[in-house]
Amino acid sequence: MKNKIKIFRAMHDLTQEHLAQAIGVNRQTILAIEKEKYIPSLDLAFKISRYFGVNIEEVFVFDEKTPTIKDI
Amino acid sequence: MKKNTFYLIFGCIALALLFIFWYSVELHTPLLIEIAFIIGIALVYLAKRKVTDSIDDERDVKITEQATIRTMQVFWVVFCAFSIGAVMQILHIPTFPREPPGSRPPALLGPRMIGYIQLGLLCVMIFLYVGFRIYYAKKYGDFDTDEE
Repeated sequence: MKNKIKIFRAMHDLTQEHLAQAIGVNRQTILAIEKEKYIPSLDLAFKISRYFGVNIEEVFVFDEKTPTIKDI
Repeated sequence: MKKNTFYLIFGCIALALLFIFWYSVELHTPLLIEIAFIIGIALVYLAKRKVTDSIDDERDVKITEQATIRTMQVFWVVFCAFSIGAVMQILHIPTFPREPPGSRPPALLGPRMIGYIQLGLLCVMIFLYVGFRIYYAKKYGDFDTDEE
């Protein structure tokens, strides 16, 4: 899962430390998410996107091909 | 309670347990260290619940979970296999056909040695856990560095 946390951080002039403190995780977790080493839980993903005041899909991009209801 | 205070308490409990272990050996009363160990661990758990300045990080929880699951998956097989063998040796069953009394072959490992090996296996489990923890920490980006 790709994400644009780094871009949003740059837009809001935020450090990883500030973002981590604001949403209650470690800085290393933010770094791991940015580097796509760790996929956050839905709860954390919502927290991050709400912190930036955007929808979850604007921050996180699910690019895997999965069948939709239209395909069936 | 601050995290450092917890570590201080943990150290004190470990030291006290070491002393009790020595005292228990001196008195030849294994029950003393057994009860002390259970109380010590209970105190550690209680103290950990009182820590206020620790961040409940979901990635840390996941690393711990994965490491614990993998450790148990490997460990219980080895431990059970050894323990079953040990119990069979102590009870000397099953042997078909049953041998007459007194013809029992000498045991490969005595009960004392079995205890030592089980204790050793428990120590190995700690190393196994640390190994898995390092592996999963690396997998989930614990050792990554950034420009910040």
